[in-house]
Formats: sequence, C-alpha cells, structure tokens
Amino acid sequence: MCPNEGERPVGSTGPVPETTPGLGERIPRLLLAYWPLGPLVRWVARLRVSVHSKLLGAFLLIALLLIAMGAMSLRSIASVARQSRLLDQARERVDASRQIEHALGLQMTFTRNALLVRDDATIESIFRENNRFHDTFNRLEAAAPPDQRETIQRLRNTQDKVMATVARIAALIREDKADEAMDLHLSEGYPLYREIAMLVTRAVRNEEAGMGQLREGVEATYRRALLLTGGFAAASIVLALGLGFVISWSFILPVRQAEGFLGQVAKGDFGASIDVANRDEFGALARQMNEMSRELHELYDAQRRAAHQLRVLNTELEQASRAKSNFLASMSHELRTPMNAILGFTEMIRDGLYGEIPPEIEEPVSDIHTCGKQLLGLINNVLDLSKIEAGHMELALGEYVVEDVVNTVKLSLRALAATKGLDLVTTVSPDLPLCVGDGKRITQCLMNVVGNALKFTREGRVEIRAELEGEKVLFAVADTGIGIPAEQIDGIFEEFRQADATVSRDFGGTGLGLSITRKLVELHGGRIWVESLPGKGSTFFFSIPGRVAKEAGA
Amino acid sequence: MKTVLYVEDNEFNRKIVRHLLGRTSYRLIEAVDGEAGLTTAREAVPDLIIMDIQLPKLSGLEATRQLHADPVTAPIPVIVITSFALAGDEEKAREAGAAAYLAKPYSPRELLQMIRQLAPES
Repeated sequence: MCPNEGERPVGSTGPVPETTPGLGERIPRLLLAYWPLGPLVRWVARLRVSVHSKLLGAFLLIALLLIAMGAMSLRSIASVARQSRLLDQARERVDASRQIEHALGLQMTFTRNALLVRDDATIESIFRENNRFHDTFNRLEAAAPPDQRETIQRLRNTQDKVMATVARIAALIREDKADEAMDLHLSEGYPLYREIAMLVTRAVRNEEAGMGQLREGVEATYRRALLLTGGFAAASIVLALGLGFVISWSFILPVRQAEGFLGQVAKGDFGASIDVANRDEFGALARQMNEMSRELHELYDAQRRAAHQLRVLNTELEQASRAKSNFLASMSHELRTPMNAILGFTEMIRDGLYGEIPPEIEEPVSDIHTCGKQLLGLINNVLDLSKIEAGHMELALGEYVVEDVVNTVKLSLRALAATKGLDLVTTVSPDLPLCVGDGKRITQCLMNVVGNALKFTREGRVEIRAELEGEKVLFAVADTGIGIPAEQIDGIFEEFRQADATVSRDFGGTGLGLSITRKLVELHGGRIWVESLPGKGSTFFFSIPGRVAKEAGA
Repeated sequence: MKTVLYVEDNEFNRKIVRHLLGRTSYRLIEAVDGEAGLTTAREAVPDLIIMDIQLPKLSGLEATRQLHADPVTAPIPVIVITSFALAGDEEKAREAGAAAYLAKPYSPRELLQMIRQLAPES
C-alpha cells in the first residue's frame, strides 16, 4: 500500500496534525520513538492478519504464559511435597534406629541382669525384646533407601548372632554354668552388642546427613518455585502491558491518521493521501480513503476546469453580447436612416409639398408608402427580437387600461378586416381593473396576434376577448381561419416558423410576430398558448399578471 | 426669421428637411458631423437645433451635452433624432439636455409641428 514505509518513527507519521500533547500523550510518543516498542508496533501493524486475529493472538499469548506459570507452580509444589515425604521417611528411619539402639541397651541390661540373678524370667524378657527388635527391623528395611539396606542387613545378621549367643547364655544359665555364661557374654555377646551399636550409630548418622540434604533440597525447591512464580507473574504483567500497548497503538495510529486525513478532506484539501503501515482492516480502510480522496480530487479538478471553462465562455459571451449590442445600435440606425428618407419623401409627396400629384401616380406613391411601412415593421420586428435576445429589451412599466389596448388594436386593424370582409368583434369584461405593465408592448402583442388571425382567415370572423382570470388578464383571439395542424402547434412560437413553407408564400410574413409576442408576454411574467382545429380555426390565448412586478420587466 | 441648424450626415435626410422648410420662413443651416455641428452652432447661434443621435466624429448625444454646457448655446432647444436601437435612448437624450426627441423614421409633418412648437415662426 505504501511503497516507502521505510524506517521513519511511527509516532510522527504522515499528515497527522500536531497538537499540543498532554502527559497521557507524551509517554506513548516517547515509548513509540524507541526500540523495541516502536518497531514492534510497526511490525504488528504490517502483519497481514485481521484485527480480530491480532487481538485473539495477543490474548492467547498472555493466556499461554499464565498456563505455563500455573504448571511451573504445580511442579514446584509437587517437588516440595515429595521431598517432605522423603524427609518424613528419613525421620521415621532415624526413630527406628534409635529404637533399635534403645532395645539393644535394654537387651544388654537384661542379659547382664540374667547373668547376675540367673533368673529364667529375665531371659524371657530378652526374647520378648528381641521380637520388638524384629518388628523395628522390618519397618526399617521397608523404608530404607538401597544404600542403607546393607547396613540393616548387617544389623539383622549381627542381631541374629546376638540372639544365638543369648540363647546359648540362657541355656548355660539354666544349666547353672554361670561362669561359662559370663565368659560367653564377655567373649561373644558383648562385642556383638558393640558392633550393633556401632552399626546403628552409622545408620543414624547416614540418615541425618541425608535429611540435611533433603532439607536443603526442599528449601532450594521452595526458593526456585518462588522465583519462578514471581518471574512468571512479572513476565505476564510486562507481556500483557506490552502486548496491550503494541496492539492498541497499532490501531490507534492509523485511526489518528485517518482522523487527521478526514479533517483535511473536510476542509477541502482533496489532494491529501493517507499512508498507514497497517495491512489489516485499517490498511484496507486507508486504501479506501485514498481512493475516495483521489476520486474527490478528480471531481474537484474536473469541476474547477469546468468552472474555468465556464468563466472563459462567459467572458466570450459577454464580449459577443457587447458586440451584438453595438452592432444592433448601428444596424438599427443604418437601416432607419434610408427608411426615414423613403417614408419622409413619400409623405411629403402625398402631402402635396411638391405640388398636385398626377392621379396616375397617386396609387404607386401610396404603394411605396405602404411597402415602406411594411419594411419598417419587419426591421422593427427583427430589431425587437434581437434586443430581447440580447437582454436589452426593457419594459416601460406604467398603468394602462385593458379596454384602451383592445380599442387601439381594433381601430388599427378595422380597415384591414373590412377589406377582407371579416367581422372584427371585441368583448371586454367590465370587471377589469386598472392594470400595471408596458401598455405599448401589450398592445403590440395583441396587435400581432389579431393581425395574424386576420391574415390567416379568409372568411368569417375574428373575435377579441379580454377578461379577468384570478390575478391575471386573459386575452383570447379566436378566428375561423385555416387552423394549425396538431404536430406544428409546438413550433408556432419559434422564430421564422409558420405552419408550413407554403403558408408564407400564400399569406406572407416572416413568422417573427408570434415569437416576439411570446417573448414580450414572458417578459411580463405571463404565458401564451394556442388551441386549434385545422380547417375550423384557432384561438390564441395570452395571460399577463394584472400588476407586473418591477423585476419582471428588468 | 428663425434659424434652424440640422446636424445629419445623410444627404437624403438633410434634403427632406431642406424641402420641408423651403416652403416656410425658417432659414436652414446644415452640418454633416458632430464637430461641425458644434462649431456652426457656436458661430451662428441658431434658434433651434435638430441633432441626429449617431454622427461621425462626435456623437449627437455628446454634441448635445456640450451645447447644453456652453452658456452661449445652452438656451437653444435641441430636438434629438433617436433610432430606438436600445432601451434608454430617450432618457439619454433627455439627460444630454434635449428639449424633445423624435424616433427615426419620423414623419416630416410631425417634425415641422415640433419645430413650430419650439421655435415659433414669426
């Protein structure tokens, strides 16, 4: 993900914004800057293992350590117990040896007494004592370690010899051979006793030496157990803390970086990228964020480029618009100047300024005048449309009376209607109030629509209606003309459109009138539409707010 | 006898006014551009000036403004002939100091009426 993650200290990675750190922040930073925690955090971050597995691994490691510590403790306890048992056994053997020594003493006493009192009973007690001796020997032999067996064996043999000697002494006493008995006791019995005593003393010494070793062993085991347990406890704590630190910081660092990064993105710095060492879910998250940042950057760039293009285009359009305005102004003047001469001269001729007009040229002069006026009308239309499109058309808002508008149109077009033999009927609703708008332009609109109706109607009538409809004034112009085919209704208000090309040949006109009308109506905040049945006639409607607001005319 | 100055670069239009005033007692003097118009107005001090809005060298509006600012020519009424090209032409004419304005193409009859109104013949 990051090709040059290198050896840079983890604590100061990437674009995380520096904040004034508190103590709780300074300590981890210090720890992260040095071996081994810093590299370890990086190493854990770089492991290609999921966060879940990392956490599980850390917990397992600590658990294993605790289990090992428990096992070591159990072993130590078992060892101490075993050695205690050995110690007990040794103590028992020492006791047994002492008992033997004691019994031996008694036997010696009994034998001596038997020699002195020559009593049978005393001799019996020697044998009784000997039996106890046997029991003790048995116990001793069972518990003795192998190296002691030999000594015990020798003790037993010697004792057996003693018992044989005692038996012979007892027989001699019974036969009343006291002196022989005494001799036997002194020559055989006594040295045998001495040997036993010596053997017992050796055995006891041996056992005591073993016991000393055992005691030391127990102590050593105990100390070792203490050390091991303490060491394991300390190691567990250190490991738990270390692992906790490493794992948590391997998560905290990318989260912090992400926080800083998202902060930058939120501030609108889309070029930034996040660079985390992690190869786990955090790494995936960082990759996604980088992807997001790149996308945002591209979008931002595209948007900026588009905005720049728009600005350039806008400037160009403004220049073009200015050029168009200038062209319009001079064009208007250039066209009107010769028109002025044509219409001016014809008017002066017709007014008789140059004398009486011969009757035969009266009509051509009148035709020049009519055509000049028509040409002027066309020029005005073209200029009006250009002005509207250049955004230079301004409405002269003022009060107007709807009935005056209708009457003006009726007066202007009455002659034309009469020439064509058409009825021109007007109906003005009496409830119409004094309205606000550009009366001249509204008159122009109605004039266009009615002129059109008259133009396309060969017989029948043209009716003008004006009525109040809510807050709006509705003008309706109905004719009994040729009508408009349904598929051409939509285009009827476009520039240079007439229902079909033959129409302009038959009826004349440039098709600008309706387009200008629509634009003027819309400039007033109104709308225009038409309902038509081919062959039956059309009705044009336009509605204009009764009081046009200032902004609408701007 | 009243003097009328017509500042207009188009020969045919000047001819119309020449013919129009030929039958009256007005004396017509002509100028073909803004600068000439100003000079003639200052020299001849006519009773009325008809100023076309668009002229070579100096525009009709600017010439009207200068005439209006000059104390010698300020009292002379000026009729500005506008061409209604752009919205606000009328206001501009008024602001420049025009006494009246007329849209091209004008009716000679109307112009004569306006002249008689602003500078009565006798």
